[in-house]
Amino acid sequence: MGLEYGFMRNAFVAILIITPLFGMLGTMIVSRKMAFFSDALGHSALTGIAFGVILGVADTNITMVVFGIAFALLLNYISSKSGTSTDTIISVFSSCSVAIGLAILSKGGNFSKYSSLLVGDILSISKWEIVSLFVIFVVAYVFFFCCFNYLHAASIHRTLAKSRQIPVRLVENLFAVLIAVIVMLSIKWVGILIINALLILPAAASRNLSANMREYHFFSILFSLFSGILGLFVSYYTNVATGPMIVIFASILYFATYLYTRKYQG
Amino acid sequence: MKHKYRFTALLLITVAACACLLTGIYRRWQTTEEDTEKVIVVTSFYPMYIATENVAGDCTAIEVKNLSEPQTGCLHDFQLTPEDMKLLSTADMFVINGGGMESFLDDVTKQYPKLNIVETIADEADEVDTDGQETIHGHEDTPDHAEETEHTHSHEEDADDHGSEEGSHEHGHTHDNAHEWMSVSHYRSQVEKIKDALCEAFPEYQEVFQENAKAYDDKLAALQAQQEKIEKAASGTKIITFHEAYEYVAEDYGLDICYTMDLDEERQISAGEVADVLKEINENDVKIILAEKLYGSKLAETIQKEADVNVYYLDTLVRGDYDKESYIKGMQENINILKAAFGVD
Repeated sequence: MGLEYGFMRNAFVAILIITPLFGMLGTMIVSRKMAFFSDALGHSALTGIAFGVILGVADTNITMVVFGIAFALLLNYISSKSGTSTDTIISVFSSCSVAIGLAILSKGGNFSKYSSLLVGDILSISKWEIVSLFVIFVVAYVFFFCCFNYLHAASIHRTLAKSRQIPVRLVENLFAVLIAVIVMLSIKWVGILIINALLILPAAASRNLSANMREYHFFSILFSLFSGILGLFVSYYTNVATGPMIVIFASILYFATYLYTRKYQG
Repeated sequence: MKHKYRFTALLLITVAACACLLTGIYRRWQTTEEDTEKVIVVTSFYPMYIATENVAGDCTAIEVKNLSEPQTGCLHDFQLTPEDMKLLSTADMFVINGGGMESFLDDVTKQYPKLNIVETIADEADEVDTDGQETIHGHEDTPDHAEETEHTHSHEEDADDHGSEEGSHEHGHTHDNAHEWMSVSHYRSQVEKIKDALCEAFPEYQEVFQENAKAYDDKLAALQAQQEKIEKAASGTKIITFHEAYEYVAEDYGLDICYTMDLDEERQISAGEVADVLKEINENDVKIILAEKLYGSKLAETIQKEADVNVYYLDTLVRGDYDKESYIKGMQENINILKAAFGVD
């Protein structure tokens, strides 16, 4: 199965950790209508790397994560203050940060150096990244355990939730930070162009089928894990980039569940 | 309710089965019968492949394989695929150009520290190896890579990938220009080095290698003789190039480059640079531009409209068919173009 190679083992472990996480967070992202938000976050990775390059930081992962967190919080803040609709604001921020990132990274015609970021490179998963993914994994579960009800309440009716003494803004910010960190840590091997699909598709497919919250999470995590593992091995044997392959499987699942719902429940 | 779970189970099984089936078919369709008995020599990219193939190709015990190729551009930006990593894991020798051309080399040395890597770039560019004798660069004991190797070892457990990526980029800049194969004389020495390395690693086939290399070198020498003819007419001519690889061409013909614009796939040219080129053309009275068809033609057309210059498109020989003679053919075409340019017959 190719697991005798170190890079495949790393990739496999990373997928075992990250796809359930994507599935779990995805449900919340989908029901909170934050798909565009996480997409913008992915794009901001470019800027994070660009800042890292400018500052001469050896490990651009750090600047990427820091920038991602700052970006997420800023987005949350502005969209809660401003009267303009959220998607406009996200779009403005997203394109602005992509532009800055592209401008810096393409200086001197060197953008091709970073083009692997766009589609992802599975060889770039290192042990260090797996450890940090695992830490995030634990943190995310703890967070979900403690705050899921708050988040859910806020996504159903924000004002009502506030009136029930739920610290809506804090919970929302924590959630945004969590997404930022996870997206940034997995972007190098998934690729900027498709990372959002990994967050959204399993949850969307699961939404087609599920009748309650428990099912929603169960199917989402199942679909995510399934397409992750299958995508990894198929991409290994067919010599295709892994991220796109995973997304293709997730999309197949989405369309299948969509048709199923149309037929039996619609 | 039950229905739903049955559907999901069925769906997942179907998708997985289809995926496995299709992948299996694809694999069968792709793989050719492989002889595990053979010694496998992997080359990093096209010119290296052609050179090695010419030296070792007809030796039945040796199989020369090339890494999967980037479709565009130079090797600078090439990422190894898992397939390549697998290929390298079976390799007995890895022939590279060196000089930072293979920016993925760090990944390779990290995974396979024992791989016999043969660097073919000329020694004078390689400050440490001045004796000109050392040809096999078993990576671990090569002084100029000591730092890299150490890095590989110390981080083996918690490889900080990005750090090494940066490192490889820096390494990539240690040689300004590693397009050695563009010069026939340099290419001859590369072939020579490959031959020496092969002889040392597989002494049992020494004679075949020697013979092949000699035959190939004769053909290359013939090319060089033609070049020398052109050089007489062309020497000292001022030119502008649109690819750094042509610096080696210029060296072969004694041309004087007044401006190089290094164009490749994702390079955006700014208006200021176009103006610079035009200024150089006027100041130095340049009549000849050497460009690469794929990336240079747009700019070249623009320049031709603005100034009275002739643009000649030369092949950079980084990709082509896997025919043994294709380097010679390509180089011959380049020579013919330059013959026409300088009016030599």
